Amino acid sequence: MVVKVSNLVKRYGDLIALDHLSFSIKEGEIFGLLGPNGSGKTTAINCILALLKYDKGEIEVFGEPMTPESYHIKQDIGIVMQNVAVYNELTVYENIDYFCGLYIKDKALKKKYVEEAIEFVDLGEYRNFRPKKLSGGLLRRLNIACGIAHKPKLIILDEPTVAVDPQSRNRILEGIKELNSNGATVIYTSHYMEEVEQICSRIMIIDKGKAIATGTKEELKAMISLGEKITVESYDVSEQQLARLRELPNIVSVEYNEPLIVIKSSKGKNNLENVLEFIKKENIQFGKIYSELPTLNDVFLEITGKELRD
Amino acid sequence: MFVHIFANRLRCLLRDRETMFWTFMFPLALALFFYMSLSNVGKGEAFQEIDVAVVNDSWYQENQFFRTALEEASRGDDRLFNLTLATGEEARKLLDDGKIKGYIIAGDPPQLIVNESGIYQSIIKSFLDNYTQTFRAVEKVLENDPRIYQEVFDSLGNRKNYVKEAPAAGGKPDNLVYYFYTLIAMACMYGSFFGMREATDIQADITPLAARINIAPVHKLKAFLSSTCAALLIHLSEMMILLAFIRYVLNIDFGPRAGYVLLTTVIGSITGVFFGAFVSAVVKKSEGIKVGILIGVTMIGSCLAGMMYIDMKYIILSKNLPFLYWTNPVNLLSDAFYCLYYFDNLNRYALNIGALSCITVLFCALTYLFIRRRKYASL
Ligand SMILES: Nc1ncnc2c1ncn2[C@@H]1O[C@H](COP(=O)(O)OP(=O)(O)OP(=O)(O)O)[C@@H](O)[C@H]1O
Ligand SMILES: [Mg+2]
Repeated sequence: MVVKVSNLVKRYGDLIALDHLSFSIKEGEIFGLLGPNGSGKTTAINCILALLKYDKGEIEVFGEPMTPESYHIKQDIGIVMQNVAVYNELTVYENIDYFCGLYIKDKALKKKYVEEAIEFVDLGEYRNFRPKKLSGGLLRRLNIACGIAHKPKLIILDEPTVAVDPQSRNRILEGIKELNSNGATVIYTSHYMEEVEQICSRIMIIDKGKAIATGTKEELKAMISLGEKITVESYDVSEQQLARLRELPNIVSVEYNEPLIVIKSSKGKNNLENVLEFIKKENIQFGKIYSELPTLNDVFLEITGKELRD
Repeated sequence: MFVHIFANRLRCLLRDRETMFWTFMFPLALALFFYMSLSNVGKGEAFQEIDVAVVNDSWYQENQFFRTALEEASRGDDRLFNLTLATGEEARKLLDDGKIKGYIIAGDPPQLIVNESGIYQSIIKSFLDNYTQTFRAVEKVLENDPRIYQEVFDSLGNRKNYVKEAPAAGGKPDNLVYYFYTLIAMACMYGSFFGMREATDIQADITPLAARINIAPVHKLKAFLSSTCAALLIHLSEMMILLAFIRYVLNIDFGPRAGYVLLTTVIGSITGVFFGAFVSAVVKKSEGIKVGILIGVTMIGSCLAGMMYIDMKYIILSKNLPFLYWTNPVNLLSDAFYCLYYFDNLNRYALNIGALSCITVLFCALTYLFIRRRKYASL
């Protein structure tokens, strides 16, 4: 086990930020920590890093208890924190060099690593810029480079792609996969379910400090009853028609927010076909019509009764 | 690791405009300002007699004791006053025409009329105050032993030495130099800006950057000390430049004990840096408030040490506020410089440096207690 967290409890005064949280991460995984704002992702990370005191529980990293003095463990951890942590007086290059130098003593090796990190986040043309002159997204990319330059065995990224544009985001996500395939274990925290779905080999969904589901994305989606979501655009549908629609086999719910009819069906065959046939038979005028497979948002919605993103 | 952190810290701090302003540009500018506005005062104070008038009324004529005192002070080559006898109206006119700095109306206590306040006026005033004090003190003795008259006159005449005393340590007599001492002391204390940054950047609950350093495989106190060394080096260099500027550009003589002056500056710089670290570690408020505290404490300290008004420190002593005297680093520092300049004997210097060292050790210890925390309850 690279990381093993058991029964972690963390309180801020009366607020229980982590409520008996347990999980373990195996070597080579990209472990996604998915949860809405305030669900306790950052708190969990900070506990693992031995920055935060916690009330109860055990944390092991690389098979050893993690303490603030576990320097040999810290040596192998790369961290990209949610809040950008770089020196405003140092340039892009100097910042990466500084953080890398805290881990890597050999000068030539350090230089090579710094160049690779700059390449990784594609900041080559900004290498002599100070952080104040970087845009929000560029700054995030610098933050990532500072965290991963020393090629750690365990990489922890806490919402690293906030404010990063789609192309760069894709590049970063692909980069993380590459780091992973070169042997790094990754903990990836986000409230973007698409990102988590795209790269994570295993996902833990947390809400209010509790783990509500853990598994691969297929496993998670299999946990819920929702099989398919069909959306029909129509301005002309009566209450009676909606009621009859609900009677169809496998249909779990039908909601109408003009002009969209959202039909959720449980797992089963021919759901879309049945709906199409019904619309034809009832002679309902419609515009677009499309069907989606469940997302992690639907998983979250079904378990907690609320949307992952508001 | 030390070199890596130290070198990067040097780079960071040298590029930190705000800190460089307060610790470097501000004291230099203030030194220049002091020089321009005070240098005339210093010269006048030491070598020029003061034009005064006294109202020649019956009180003056009858009060032989006062009259003799004033005449004594206006006699000889190294006299304090150029004294004119005048009627009340004449005196007023002389004052309005700028022929005299002020005029005295004899009485108990004697009154001083001036149009403006300045160093000359202060000297007349302190002469009169001295007279009143001495007079009161010996009045009763006099009743019993009239022979003491002559001694008292002599002593009053000697009061000239409050402006013309010759320092035993061999420096030239000059109050101006004391203003520069308070300035150097203040600049030492502005080292606190560096200390504040150091302590801030190592406490994970204050900045994300500090949290980041706490996660790196570096011993926290080693990281703190490495970067504090960089801060001390920069601040000491700044202080050396300030000393050189005052000594060689402004031509202010610090007296013969250059080595001790440097030593005192080094200790002062360490005090300043750790004062800032202490404030940052102990005060759990925003950075703005901390900066406010640093500037506020240093300014009030400088003021109490006599930066704006030399006699301030004596007022504090005479009002029995030794606490304010001995806990004010600016005062201890400037008084240490003063001792080096004026006194042959270094006892008082040693006392000052002793107190200063105690304060510094206290700052260090408290800073250590607060920043050594391994984990935080909240970030
Ligand atoms: N220093 C603190 N003091 C008190 N409460 C805190 C503190 N830090 C976090 N919390 C609370 O703990 C809970 C978990 O916060 P945390 O930052 O771990 O959430 P998160 O999942 O990282 O959210 P986000 O997606 O916004 O980053 C929240 O309810 C938050 O309000
Ligand atoms: Mg967070």
